[in-house]
Amino acid sequence: MNQILAVLYRDSLIRLTSLTWFFFDLAVPLLYLLMFGVGFDKAVGMGIMTSGIAVSYNEFFLAGVLAMSCFGSAINQAYGFFHDRETGIFYEFLTYPMTRGQYLLGKVIFQCLMSVVQAVLTLIAAVVLLHVPVRIDFLPFTIVAVVVGIAGWFFALSIFAFRIHRNDTFNTFINVLYFVLMFVSSMFYPLDAVPVWLKYAAYLNPVTWHTDVLRYCTIGIGDPSIVIMESIGFVLFLFAGFYFAVRTLKKAV
Amino acid sequence: MEPAAISIQNLVKEYQRNGKETLRAVDGISFEVRKGQIFGLLGPNGAGKSTTIKILTTLIQPTSGTAFVNGFDVVKQSIDVRKNICIVIQENAVDTYLTVKSNFLTFGKFHGLTRKETETRSGRVIELFGLKDVLNQRAMDLSGGMKRRVQVAKMFIVDKPIVFLDEATTGMDTFNKRATIAAIKEESKQGRTIVLTTHMLDEAEELCDAIAIINHGKIVASGTTGEVKKMGLEMFYLSLKVKEMTKELEEELKQHQPVKMETKESDIELTIRDHDTALKILSILHSRGLLLNFEMSSASLEDVFVALLDRSVTET
Repeated sequence: MNQILAVLYRDSLIRLTSLTWFFFDLAVPLLYLLMFGVGFDKAVGMGIMTSGIAVSYNEFFLAGVLAMSCFGSAINQAYGFFHDRETGIFYEFLTYPMTRGQYLLGKVIFQCLMSVVQAVLTLIAAVVLLHVPVRIDFLPFTIVAVVVGIAGWFFALSIFAFRIHRNDTFNTFINVLYFVLMFVSSMFYPLDAVPVWLKYAAYLNPVTWHTDVLRYCTIGIGDPSIVIMESIGFVLFLFAGFYFAVRTLKKAV
Repeated sequence: MEPAAISIQNLVKEYQRNGKETLRAVDGISFEVRKGQIFGLLGPNGAGKSTTIKILTTLIQPTSGTAFVNGFDVVKQSIDVRKNICIVIQENAVDTYLTVKSNFLTFGKFHGLTRKETETRSGRVIELFGLKDVLNQRAMDLSGGMKRRVQVAKMFIVDKPIVFLDEATTGMDTFNKRATIAAIKEESKQGRTIVLTTHMLDEAEELCDAIAIINHGKIVASGTTGEVKKMGLEMFYLSLKVKEMTKELEEELKQHQPVKMETKESDIELTIRDHDTALKILSILHSRGLLLNFEMSSASLEDVFVALLDRSVTET
């Protein structure tokens, strides 16, 4: 436990060295929601149909923003391994008296704490500024979904950060992955109206599972039986990610 | 007899190159390091020193063979090994965004020290390494040598029984180097075992109680520093002053195949493989009335090192 706390301590010290960094970490999803979301809401006008219910784009997109910020934060945290590798501290960490799992857990817990604050701020902005009818009774589930989401993506992306040693290769890979996973999902639009091939592809995408769970938790839209399946799918994705991330980290030198 | 601090038996590390060719970075080496010793692992670039250190510090696993650090198996008891060691790796490993002080605090935290304990212990280290003026500076603003100094200083905040120093003084200026060498000596007196790799043989000669010379993944020579020097097969260092240095004389001296030969005006420095050759050279110069002055001593570790590596290359 002390080792996990040490990782948390180190990451928080680093984050506090740059308040600009700290601010943008918390503010990016808000900006996304307020700029992209509001713009699209006006463009769509009457709102959109999802699961047979008409909702405003702001309501629909709230879960997308939360899922996107989880994915984005996980990318940043995984990218941190490159910086640590360049400075050499990464290799020194691996000789500290902690397991590879403790190292990864420390990193993910720190990012989860940040993301929970980020999610709460986003939800407050959605309710106060955009009048999205967020389900307050489901707030604990929303928080759990955010935590599970960030952990799942962090472990998955860490595998690539450990395997890919070139900064530019990792960036290119992540950009392509980000593009495909975001748009082949239910993040920006409901899957009811998309072509069948895209719909099936989207249902194989963990971003869709995560977004659907968050959408159900935040505005109550979605088929509960599908959402439960998607939740189970994402938790399995999380555990598989953790297992393979630890395995890859053991061979990272 | 007290168990060894480090014990290695038939250690092998192979890497796949381009997915096909197998490279043997460490090729069946065996040695022991006694507790409290300063042990030097010497060899040219790519000899297998750092790979050996990486195995001993659990960064990588061996392909075969066994290695025990403070009695713990590096493969099966890696966490126990890590609890007993700290390492200065070859790269400049400091948290660049953090101040020097925060670097110490995080290092202490990872090694189970409270903030107060770290602050108390780092006081001595700050003094020893002359870091008082940069304590509140971010590591990213420090010079390469200073970053290295911070990295080495960290190791002496914690009480790990075994310290690994992989090219620890590389990139340091003379002052830093002297401070580091003094600190290493001091820590060794406290009973710590120190394993270091270095290219600087004068440094190894000054510091080490025992050494192993490694080349192409194999141990070429090992023993106490004195024993390894003796393996230089009675090598001698000759410092000569002659009346006149000519091209012919230089060529003639080269025919005696010195391990090393340097000339500067009328001064000649030679490292000779055996006693008889040394005497023969002196006798020739004397009979021709060329010799003004001479000094003869046993060869330095560096000369022995070069000779042993030459021999290992020839044998391969």
